[in-house]
Order: sequence, then structure tokens, then C-alpha cells
Amino acid sequence: MSQEYELTLKISRYDPDTDRAWVQDYHLKVGRILRFVDLFRKINDEQDPTLAWSSSCEHGQCGTCGMKINGKPLLTCELLVENAVQMFKTQTFKVEPLTVAPVIRDLVIDLEKAYERIHIVKPYIIEFAPPHPEGDEYRIPPRVLEAYVEATRCINCFCCATACISTQKNYLGPNAMLADIVRLMDPREVANEERLKILYSGQGIQRCRTSQACTFVCPKQIDVAHFIALGKEGKFGKVNGV
Amino acid sequence: MGKQLRIDSVLRPEVLIIGAGGAGLRCAAEICERRPGTRIIAVTKVYSPQKSHTSTAQGGMAAVDPKDPVDRVIYHMFDTWKGSDCSADQNIIKKVCETGWEQVVWLERHGMHFSRTEAGRIAKRPFGGHMLNFGEVKAFRACYEADRTGKGIMDTVWAESLRHGVVFLGQSVATELLFSHGRCVGAIVFVEPSGKFIAILAQATVMATGGKTRMYQVSTNCRQNTGDGLALILQAGLPVMDLEAVQFHPTGIVGPGILASEALRGEGGVLLNKDGERFMERYAPTAKDLAPRDLVSRCIMTEIREGRGCIHPDHNMPHVWLDLRHLPKYVHRTKIQEVTSFFRKFVGVDPETELCPVVPTAHYQMGGAPTNEFGEVQKSPEEIVPGLFACGEFAAASLHGHNRLGTNSLLELITMGKVVGERVVSYLADAEAPGDVPEEAGQHVFSQFSNCLERKGHQRYARIRDRLRVLMMEKVGVFRSEKPLTEAIDELRELKRMASRMELSSKSLVMNQELLQFWELDHLLDISMVIAQSALARKESRGAHYREDYPERKPEFDFHTLAYMTEFGKVDFAKRPIDMSIYKARGKNYKKFGMIERKY
Ligand SMILES: Cc1cc2nc3c(=O)[nH]c(=O)nc-3n(C[C@H](O)[C@H](O)[C@H](O)COP(=O)(O)OP(=O)(O)OC[C@H]3O[C@@H](n4cnc5c(N)ncnc54)[C@H](O)[C@@H]3O)c2cc1C
Ligand code: SF4
Ligand code: SF4
Repeated sequence: MSQEYELTLKISRYDPDTDRAWVQDYHLKVGRILRFVDLFRKINDEQDPTLAWSSSCEHGQCGTCGMKINGKPLLTCELLVENAVQMFKTQTFKVEPLTVAPVIRDLVIDLEKAYERIHIVKPYIIEFAPPHPEGDEYRIPPRVLEAYVEATRCINCFCCATACISTQKNYLGPNAMLADIVRLMDPREVANEERLKILYSGQGIQRCRTSQACTFVCPKQIDVAHFIALGKEGKFGKVNGV
Repeated sequence: MGKQLRIDSVLRPEVLIIGAGGAGLRCAAEICERRPGTRIIAVTKVYSPQKSHTSTAQGGMAAVDPKDPVDRVIYHMFDTWKGSDCSADQNIIKKVCETGWEQVVWLERHGMHFSRTEAGRIAKRPFGGHMLNFGEVKAFRACYEADRTGKGIMDTVWAESLRHGVVFLGQSVATELLFSHGRCVGAIVFVEPSGKFIAILAQATVMATGGKTRMYQVSTNCRQNTGDGLALILQAGLPVMDLEAVQFHPTGIVGPGILASEALRGEGGVLLNKDGERFMERYAPTAKDLAPRDLVSRCIMTEIREGRGCIHPDHNMPHVWLDLRHLPKYVHRTKIQEVTSFFRKFVGVDPETELCPVVPTAHYQMGGAPTNEFGEVQKSPEEIVPGLFACGEFAAASLHGHNRLGTNSLLELITMGKVVGERVVSYLADAEAPGDVPEEAGQHVFSQFSNCLERKGHQRYARIRDRLRVLMMEKVGVFRSEKPLTEAIDELRELKRMASRMELSSKSLVMNQELLQFWELDHLLDISMVIAQSALARKESRGAHYREDYPERKPEFDFHTLAYMTEFGKVDFAKRPIDMSIYKARGKNYKKFGMIERKY
């Protein structure tokens, strides 16, 4: 039998039916390689079926299971017990929902609400560049793509937005900025004027305080702050009157 | 006394899309492009369309570029036909393969971030089963976006739908289809965050609820893939097709079942048993570790059954090893970095220095709701249900027959998604508005939910769920034969009885995941029952459906299985002929499209 850990999870709970919020302790004896999502399932199976939490693909590709563990926003499907104990040097964990949207129940937040921030930056191509004369795909050399391909890996898990100190105050958040920047760097987009307006608007990157918390927490290891810094340096051009 | 359940409000879009994944939203985008301003509501069980399971697809999407100097559409059609073990429909194969490239270009022109060649064109890679010259050498046919092709597709069709003003309803579950005089007029949707039922009445309803293999112990499918869509179809008295055809991918990561792509073996990874033997050499001396998926899965299970597997100490589950230790460091660091990171992240194993535990994992359901070549859902081979359309993994048109080739599913989403969009637009031209909410609307779902809310007893949900998953894996899995299948059917009946004696801890309707799980469990049991009975009825082996007691393919089973089930356990069967229009057209290579042998 491999090593077992005795854990205490202090989970934030909220009951919308009675509008009551509290913290509940759960004690678990588990093997080293269970993931935090497995722990929640175990709690549902063995102790408390009413605990609500969200996930979908459970292998770090969809960005649904983001939570704050001892204050750090991360994907709970990627957090193994063994690694958590090592990283936080404790067997007691505070589990809270992300703070980018209202809580629906317990650890489930209204992600649709959070997504409104992304909708504002128009994640599609606003206005298409003229197509390639041969009529098929646009030609994008690998070296052009390389400059922004990292930014296309974002899964909108909102971990960065939760970590970002400025987000609450009117900032659309680092991942929304990233979505705008991807299209600014994408040669197929020609509506750069409109994109820059979004970038430099009152909800845009001027709110960023360069803490780099976004880069630090991103589960996809995207250097979010780097892309935001490019914007601050004016690398994508300037708009009149802003 | 139970709660009084009722329809809280009524929405009236022109089109309702159930399932906002790759297929559903490709369809939505097509409708909007052809008929700007169409009012569309797309509901999804996950939290936002972008979280749909399409986002997890890794490898690529097959399509023949007309500028390719050596590849031809006819080769792709042949590979798909052969791969299906001669049970796909040739009209669909033709339509999908011929329009594949055009659809890849559509995605690129709408912003998908494909990987590129030096010349800036869309890059292509080889994939299992895709060959040149009718099976001679491997073809470079899979267009890809690094190892996140599905995400690229999902992001693109989601963003396009957003641009056109499609309204999304997240965490909203379709629970009952609505009909009026035989025509589908929408659905009842349960909105989890508010705990309310709404009726969505629409001229046209498109179902695209995706995969359905969560009833297996080890599965690559997401938590939401519980077969609701098919259960809704069965409840409406409609048939499902070829459910016995479940694809097992040979290398799932032990425990969660996460997919460890074929690319690992493509780069030189080898499978080992407990004694360290490269056992694939024994079964397939030429293809070895790169033999087709179904064959490799069977070999792994044979090793395990004959005592040459290992038991994983943490997951207490049998498995074999995938050895990647001998691969050069640069391969680890650049070519397979994302997938090998899964072993590190999810089982705490370092593939550069340690062996990786793998086991076959349920991956894809070739069967689904039967449709014609326009994606119209069928009541019988001759008759469609007006107003009801289907596409994506949920549907069976059928492109895959009894076995799907890698990269052909993403291709199907975008090609058939578009076809359905087109068809919906022409249907809308003279479709009448649905009128009032049908009188019997909600009866079914309210009785299901009241039943869940009122059940009493001491059975535990987790126990039934776990027993179901082990049962399906062991008796309706990679190997099948009469006795275990019959036992499985009896046991499913018992599990159904047990499920009627589970009791909820909370009766709240708002974001009550236990309530939804009870409702989903019923569907998992229903669909498992149809899979088991269809597998029992098909007394032959074809593609992914392997019967140990009937190991050969047989001409008397050259048809699609249609199954109806309105009462649990009582399955009625019918047949749908296999479309052989390419063969019948007697073109130049028609003989390749006869009932050929499937040998690699
Ligand atoms: C790990 C993995 C890797 C893969 N790799 C490849 C690959 O490289 N190439 C390839 O061709 N194929 C691949 N596949 C297969 C392919 O990805 C899927 O078949 C395909 O993405 C399914 O798309 P879809 O649009 O039909 O369904 P999905 O994307 O799953 O969307 C289904 C939608 O329906 C919703 N839904 C479900 N039930 C309900 C309900 N009751 N009410 C409301 N909404 C509901 C879901 O929430 C979701 O929005 C892979 C599959 C997996 C799991
Ligand atoms: S660097 Fe800017 S965007 Fe990133 S976390 Fe800090 S303030 Fe937020
Ligand atoms: S940038 Fe990283 S942390 Fe932020 S939403 Fe995207 S994936 Fe998540």
C-alpha cells in the first residue's frame, strides 16, 4: 500500500435557498495521487452529497474547476494530494471559489457572468483581411504565428483574473486582454483601431499594475504579463484621441 | 407530498440548438451566415460553450487538400470505408470527404490558429489508418493546431456564434423533447442555477449533445457525457443506431482514463507487460505497437486476463506499461511534451525515467441517433421526424460504421454541422411557428424529477454508479460473448431496481448536483442496457464490436442495428441497410468499396 495522507479541507459553503454562508471542515484519509476533484467526489460519495463543485474534462483542458486553494487560484483537477502537501507544506487546505463572479452554490460560480468580460473584447476577427488570391487559407508564416501562439492557448479558467489585484476595480482582466491582444497580433484581423480602443479603454490595460500575478498562476504557463507589457509599450500602435 | 413542478416560462427562438459543442455551433454559424438575424438559442450542460468536450481533442482533423501532389479524396473515402469494417454509409463518406478541405479553410478564414508549414500554409501530419494509394503508405492528411486541434475548432465556432448574436444558456439541461402532431417543436430545459424549467419552442431543433461513454469505468469522456441526448430520443419512441460500436483507445492513463495520444507510440513508445516483454511483437509482428486501436486494445486486455498485467497500487486497477524512457530527450521536451505532462500531473510519474501505467479506455461511441444525409433524425429508415436534426458525435449518419478512424470525428463535426445548418435554413423557409406549448409538455420530465425527489431507501448512488462502470468495462467492454452479456443485462435490471431506492439528501432544485446525478444515472442505465442488448444481438465481430464467440464478420450482419426502448430492458430491433452508393455507381475504383477484408 502506498503512502496515505490525513487531510482537512476547510471548504467555503453557500446555500442559496437560505442565503447562508459558512466554512465546513471535512476530514479525509487518502492516497498520494488523488486529485482535488477526486477528493470532492469522495466527499460527495462518503460524507456529504450536498457539496456542490464544478468540473468537466478533468484534465486541465477546459478550465471549469478553478478554485482558490490556500489562497492560490488553480485548476483542482491538476492538483495531486502529494504535490499540494509539498507545495503548501501542510495537510490542511482552505478551499474557496474563484472571485470573478457571484457564487451560485458552494464552490460553483456563475461562470457565464465571468464570460461577459470576454464577450466585450470580441474574441472573433472583427473585420477580415482580404483573402489569399488563390482563394484558400491565409498564409501565416510560422515565425509570425510564434509571436502570439502562446496567447492562443488560454482556456479562460479565470485563475489569472482571480489573482490579478486590479480585476475587481473595473478591469476586464488579464485573460480578456489576452483575447484582444491575440487578434491584434493576428494578421487576419484588420479592425486594429477598434481593438486598440478596447485595449486602452477605461476597463483595459491601464488598470494593470504590473504585479505579474497572472503569469505566476496561469495553469497553462502563459506569460500573460508579457503580452500585456507589449500593449503598455505601445507595440500594437496607438489610437487617436486615447 | 412532492414539490409542484411546473414550466416557469416560455422562450420562442426560431432555432433551438441542444448542445453547444463543435458540431452544434458550427451548425449555428452556418445558419447565421445564410440567414442573418435568425434567432437562435444554444443550450449547454457545461458552464459555457467553450467548456464543451470538443475543446479536449488533440490530434487533428483529416481533410485532403486539393493542392496535395499525392493525396486524393478517393483514398480518404476508401480508408474510412475500410476502417468502418464496411458498415459506414457511402453517401455520407462521399459528402464528408469531398467537403472536408473546404470546411478546414472555413475554420482558418474565421480565425482558427492552425499550425503552419514554412510557406505559411496549414500543416498536416500522418495519423493511424490514413493512407495513400488505397492503403499503401501513410498520408499527411490531418490538419492540426499543435496538440489542441479541438480547442481551436471550439474557440472558432463559439466566437463566430457570438458574433452573430446566438444566445447561450449555460448549465442548462435539455430534459424532454416536445412534439406537436409528430413534428418536433422544441424542448423542456432545466436551468440548474435557478432550478427552473423553461419550455423552448422553436421551428427547428438541432441535437448535438456529443459523446456518451461515461458508463465505463475508464473513459476519456467528460463528467457531463451521460447519454442524456440518446435517452431523450428513446423516450420519444425514436430509435438509436449501432450503440454496440464503442471504441476503446488502447492507452488511457490508469485511474482517470485520460487519453495518452497515439503519437506516443508513433514516436517510438512501446507497450510492456509485467515481465517487461514487448508483447505486441507476439500479436502483430509487422505493425507491432502501431496496429489499429481495436486490435491493440484487445492485446492489452488479453495480457491482463492471462495474468501478465500489473495492479496499480493507488488505483487498485490492472494495467500494462507504456515505456517512453528510451526516447531521446528532445522528443520528450518538444514533441510529446503536453501529453507526457499528463503522466506527471495525474499519476505522479516521470515518463523520462519511469514506466507509464496505461489501460484501454472507452473513448468514442460510433453509434447514435440515426439521421439521413442531411442530418434529419429518422423515425425509421424511410421516415424522418420533421423539425428535428442531429449532428456531431451524438448522431450516426453514419460516417464511422463500427469503427472510427482517428481525426475523422472532428471532420464530421464541421462538415455535417454545416450540412445541418443549410438544411435548417431551407426548412425554416416554410416552417410554421410552433403554436402553444403542447398540452402534455413536461409530463415526462416532471414525473422523472418528482420520482427522484420522492424516492426513499438506503441505496447509495456512488455504489450503483461504480458497479455499473465496472460491469460495463468487464462484460460489455473490449471483449464480449453471450454469457457475460446476458449476465450484464440481468445485472443492469438489478441496478435499475437499486436506483429506485436511492434518497436525496437535499430536495432543493437550485444547483443540486445530487438531483442531476440521479437523473443522469437513469440515462446511463438506459443507454447501457441498449448497448448490452445490441451487442448480444450482433452475433459477429465488426470493427470495435468484438465477440469472442463469433470472432468473424458475417454477411448476414451487413446492416445497421436500430434499437427502440420505451420501457427499461424491453429493446426492439430493426435494421437499416448500409448505403453502398459508391460501389453501386460502378466508378473506376468501385471494387474497393465492396465488402472488402479489413486487414492492416
Ligand atoms: C480526449 C479526446 C481526444 C480526441 N481527439 C480527437 C482528434 O484528435 N480527432 C478527432 O477527429 N476526434 C477526436 N476526439 C473525438 C471528438 O473530439 C469528439 O467526438 C467531438 O469533439 C464531439 O463533438 P460534439 O460537438 O459532437 O460534442 P461536444 O463537444 O461534446 O459537445 C456536446 C455539447 O452538448 C452539451 N450537452 C450534453 N448533454 C446535454 C443536455 N442534456 N442538455 C444540454 N446540453 C447538453 C454539452 O454540454 C456540450 O456543450 C477526441 C475525443 C476525446 C475525448
Ligand atoms: S500584471 Fe497586470 S494583468 Fe497581470 S495580474 Fe498584475 S495587474 Fe493583473
Ligand atoms: S491566461 Fe492562463 S490563467 Fe488566465 S484564463 Fe487563460 S489559461 Fe487561465
